[in-house]
Amino acid sequence: MRIGLGVAAVVLLLAAPAAVGDPFIQRVAALVLLTAISASAWNLIGGYAGQVSIGHAVFFGAGAYASLLVFKLFAWPPIAGAPFGIAVSLVLALLIGVPTFRLRGHYFSMATIAVAELIRIVVGNWPLLGAAVGLMGPAVPRGLADLSFLSPLPYFYIFAAVEAALLWVTWAMARSRTGYYLRAVRAGERAALSLGVPVLRYKLVALLLSAGFTALAGSLYAVMVGYVDPESVLGILVSVQMVIVAALGGAGTLFGPVLGAVILVPVQQATNAAFGGSGSGLTYIVYGAIILAIARFRPGGLLELLHWRPRRAA
Amino acid sequence: MSAVLSVQHLAVRYGDLVGVADISIAVPAGSVVALLGANGAGKTTTLNAIAGLVPPAAGRIAWQGRDIAGRPAHAIVAQGLALSPEGWRLFVQQSVEQNLRLGATVLADRSRAAAMLERVYALFPRLAERRRQRAGTLSGGERQMLALGRALMSDPQLLMLDEPSLGLAPAVVERMYEALVQLNETGLPLLLAEQSVELALELADYAYVLQTGRTVLEGPAEELAGNTEVQRIYMGIA
Repeated sequence: MRIGLGVAAVVLLLAAPAAVGDPFIQRVAALVLLTAISASAWNLIGGYAGQVSIGHAVFFGAGAYASLLVFKLFAWPPIAGAPFGIAVSLVLALLIGVPTFRLRGHYFSMATIAVAELIRIVVGNWPLLGAAVGLMGPAVPRGLADLSFLSPLPYFYIFAAVEAALLWVTWAMARSRTGYYLRAVRAGERAALSLGVPVLRYKLVALLLSAGFTALAGSLYAVMVGYVDPESVLGILVSVQMVIVAALGGAGTLFGPVLGAVILVPVQQATNAAFGGSGSGLTYIVYGAIILAIARFRPGGLLELLHWRPRRAA
Repeated sequence: MSAVLSVQHLAVRYGDLVGVADISIAVPAGSVVALLGANGAGKTTTLNAIAGLVPPAAGRIAWQGRDIAGRPAHAIVAQGLALSPEGWRLFVQQSVEQNLRLGATVLADRSRAAAMLERVYALFPRLAERRRQRAGTLSGGERQMLALGRALMSDPQLLMLDEPSLGLAPAVVERMYEALVQLNETGLPLLLAEQSVELALELADYAYVLQTGRTVLEGPAEELAGNTEVQRIYMGIA
């Protein structure tokens, strides 16, 4: 019964954008899913392992830049750059994770910010990567492999498939031995260490998975938008958005990042539409307000509301 | 009497801060050894260094003849050294049984975990009664039992206990110590850090008194029990 209802709801949600027919709404729906992918990827390390990265833009940017770089250099379809972006992300994840995961506390968070900002500045001055101007994708689609569509609908379905796969990976990890240890690490790293949990190894596994999927999200972004520059894919807002989307819905829960994206992305699009270019600073204010509200009222995220029950009178 | 664990001239630094300056201790097979001293004397740091939770700056830690100083914590637990940490550090959101099972992390053979679980439940029937309950709902005494049981799950050959009596009611402490005696009678050597000198000396065969990171006094427990110097050092009076 419950499964039947769930299947019906998913089918309905998948069919809805096609039925609506309005390209703006279809585009917002696609962006919701793309945002959900990057937030779900962040959730693997930031939510389940409790290691808050504020520099995931570096992985997102690696995927995005790799996609348009293979087009620029070899005229390959942008999506062919995804494996390279993922590979670069994994290397970066090791470079960040191995030294900082030996430390407890906020060192990892600080290191992620530092590395992401450093790389943003390097990329912004690197002519191969278009420096501050960025890179462009194919102006006119040369074939299906370019994945360049006028309608947002195909993107919506591609993103839906990727998010479904990512959620399955997350679900499988959470109920595996790795997930069990990661929960222990999040609850008490010192205690987990003293019991002999190889904390460093499991944190690295979570970070590598997370970095790889975040890079894939970056590639998908570049494929859809067809343009990347340092600010749009490597800026700190990109990192902060993943944290906020996941925390808003519920970090460390399977569907939290999806819920967060469903709420946040339309709000963003609405403020952008209402204020246009003059309101670009507004995003920061909205993010700040959301951080305050989550921290003050619902540290577990909105999904926590589902599990909340009024206390029974004695 | 051969020592299973021997620590020589151990030093631990936290940046510029000296946690332990020069500590040498030995734990003979099958014995109970107590580390005594006031807060900040270096008891916890010493245990943490042996367990691999903090890296030693100098000194040798020999476990069954092999130097383990500076090895990662999981490798040390796997060699049979278990620590029940100060303040228990339970996973309060998880059930009693899940907490215990996490203690069996290093056992290569999973079927042994079930056998260890039975052993712990036999030692602490109260934990068996509460196996499905969240650890956060346990009383202080039950939490100490759980921390101890969890440390036992790795089937250790030496059990280290950091302040097992801290914050517990006297009757509960009494039962705790009975359990420790039972464990020791099976041949398991114990190394405990304890602020409560009387209790520790009652249980221990041998004791070391630490002061500001150094071993300042040592001897058989009966001798130290009659030593007025111990009380003076323990109180931290210069």
